[in-house]
Amino acid sequence: MLKALGYFVELLRGIWITTRHFVVNMWFHTLNLFGIKTKRKGAVTIQYPEQKKDLAARHRSLHRLMKREDGKPRCVACMLCVTVCPSECIVIEATEDPDPEIQKYPSTFVIDLNRCCFCGFCVEACPEDAIRMDTAKIDLAQTSHDALIFGLDKLLK
Amino acid sequence: MAKIFLDGKPVEVAEGTTVFKAAQQAGIAIPHFCYHPAFVPEGSCRLCLVEIEGSPKLELSCSTVVREGMKVSTQSPTVREARRGVLEFILAEHPLDCPICDKAGECKLQDYYQDYGLTESVFREFKEKREKKVRIGDKLILDRERCVLCTRCVRFLAEITKTHELGLFERGIHAEIGGYENEPVRNGYSGNLVDLCPVGAITDTDFRFKTRPWFLTKGESICPLCSRGCNIYIDYHPGFPRVPGSAKVYRIRPRTNDAVNGPWICDHGRYGFIDLQQKNRCQTLVWNKGERTAEWSWDKVLITIGERVKALRENGKTNRISLILTTWLTNEELFLIKKIFKDGLGVRNVFFADPAPGPEDGFLLRSERTPNRRGAREMGFDLKAPDLNALVPDTDILFIFGPHFAGISHDGAWKPALEKIPVKILVTSHLNELASTADFVLPAAFLAEKNGTLTNADGRVQKIAAIARACFDIRPESQILLDLAREIRLDDSYFGALSAPEAVHHELVKEIPFFGALP
Ligand code: SF4
Ligand code: SF4
Ligand code: SF4
Ligand code: SF4
Ligand code: FES
Repeated sequence: MLKALGYFVELLRGIWITTRHFVVNMWFHTLNLFGIKTKRKGAVTIQYPEQKKDLAARHRSLHRLMKREDGKPRCVACMLCVTVCPSECIVIEATEDPDPEIQKYPSTFVIDLNRCCFCGFCVEACPEDAIRMDTAKIDLAQTSHDALIFGLDKLLK
Repeated sequence: MAKIFLDGKPVEVAEGTTVFKAAQQAGIAIPHFCYHPAFVPEGSCRLCLVEIEGSPKLELSCSTVVREGMKVSTQSPTVREARRGVLEFILAEHPLDCPICDKAGECKLQDYYQDYGLTESVFREFKEKREKKVRIGDKLILDRERCVLCTRCVRFLAEITKTHELGLFERGIHAEIGGYENEPVRNGYSGNLVDLCPVGAITDTDFRFKTRPWFLTKGESICPLCSRGCNIYIDYHPGFPRVPGSAKVYRIRPRTNDAVNGPWICDHGRYGFIDLQQKNRCQTLVWNKGERTAEWSWDKVLITIGERVKALRENGKTNRISLILTTWLTNEELFLIKKIFKDGLGVRNVFFADPAPGPEDGFLLRSERTPNRRGAREMGFDLKAPDLNALVPDTDILFIFGPHFAGISHDGAWKPALEKIPVKILVTSHLNELASTADFVLPAAFLAEKNGTLTNADGRVQKIAAIARACFDIRPESQILLDLAREIRLDDSYFGALSAPEAVHHELVKEIPFFGALP
């Protein structure tokens, strides 16, 4: 009995919240309509994905690997991003670089986005600024797990 | 005995001890690059400076011998300042390679900088450029920028291997390590240079760039590649969650034990181990039925094998079971085999198939290339090689442990001979031609993946531990044997109690006290 009562209480609370938002927003929109400037603006729904909001400058989106001038990856395969990654989703295999001046380069660099939590630690750990999360790609959903495993080819694009 | 005062603490040490060793005994760590317990002190790095009362200058602790009543201070401000100065000079010529250096994480220079340096560099000039990839041996690469010129490598090759491949050339800022006429370092112990080098100047191609040291977990074990039984660390990577096969052993390093191997191991063991752990592994349980080969579950295969053995047992013909063993097996497994087959079933045809003996090198490597021949002998086994004529007519069921039988040259005669035996069961960690001839192939654990003890040639019983985890469904031989004993209903109460860990070892020691001497 008491439980059923709680249900109706919550229902009424929900109606109250919705109504409050509607009235408050209507109030600001109406003031705006009559040319009265207020500090607060009425809320507007963005029609995502047809319409997109600008991302903040510090946002984190899909990773990319930076390139050197000659097109090779800037990454030196130090594996510090692998070390810091809390989701254990980066796998790197390093190979001897034929250039005597360069020690090693990543022959495999895989980020498994199925596991990635977009914390951005890898970007902060990188001593070479070789990995960034500034591609502004946030609509990453796929229909298969494999499509979310990003290798060198996709990351260097 | 001489009494000295270390940082005010009175310490009794033997006459003739160096201040460094006295401090070590008292639990005080003094930073050092060039000193190594196995060599004569050289005194070239100047990092081990200490202050001795009454002496006008700081002294080298590694080469100063204690005097009665000596007052030493290892941490005074003067000492710390001096060490900081030494480090600053070394770092003025050291590249900022830590993020890509294989030694980072276990590097002495990093540790000491953390403890003493933490200085801003005042060096405004360009650092000297040197070669970074000099091949100094088949597997060794020298990075001259990282070298701190401690000459440990030179002294190892002069004092331990006595092969003198490397030397210190030129003087002052041009000084560098190099080979005479670029002769490569080629001796059976070259891998030790990598462990010996206090910084990342010498790396080996086996481990170079493969991973970073902090990903590795180290486990204590015994090298299985010869009967010396060198003490080792197995550095194992637990792998990444979604990369199959990424869990593996990356590196073998010596574990100091003065009674066996000192601080060294040979290259045969160091580099051979990893190949053994990773290559040609037997991964699937197979039952070959004529033309058909099927994969089976452990339970089903063990029941089937148990039924075959039981059938022989009911007819009183268990003496028609034969065994070909290997001394890759641990003491405990050999003991279980003895209890089940020799004592329990009365099996008399027992042979041993081991890899062929190799050359001995007079230092560590011994000619017997398996770890436990002594253990098998102490257990009362006669280590005779398989005799096909004695084997084939008397055998209905043949158990083969280990892959080495195929390597023993009977000019290929083993193959047609085996085909005459009705049931052949192969329990092995590695695959070779034997697998296609056997009726059942049971994948077993390699030595890094199971617990037990091994007896080295001098009779030391030493522990191995399950450090690595195989990525496929294997079982240690001891478990297979106990399951089999259960299937054939052999003395249930006795074998049932042995499934607890360590139980087999206790039982073994109770029966043969020789194996009780676990160091
Ligand atoms: S964003 Fe975080 S979870 Fe994703 S790869 Fe980088 S460190 Fe790992
Ligand atoms: S931290 Fe940067 S340089 Fe190092 S492996 Fe990761 S991406 Fe490459
Ligand atoms: S030798 Fe040590 S200090 Fe030098 S680069 Fe390697 S890890 Fe860093
Ligand atoms: S290579 Fe290593 S061991 Fe040899 S002198 Fe240089 S720092 Fe010392
Ligand atoms: S350890 Fe004493 S001078 Fe190098």
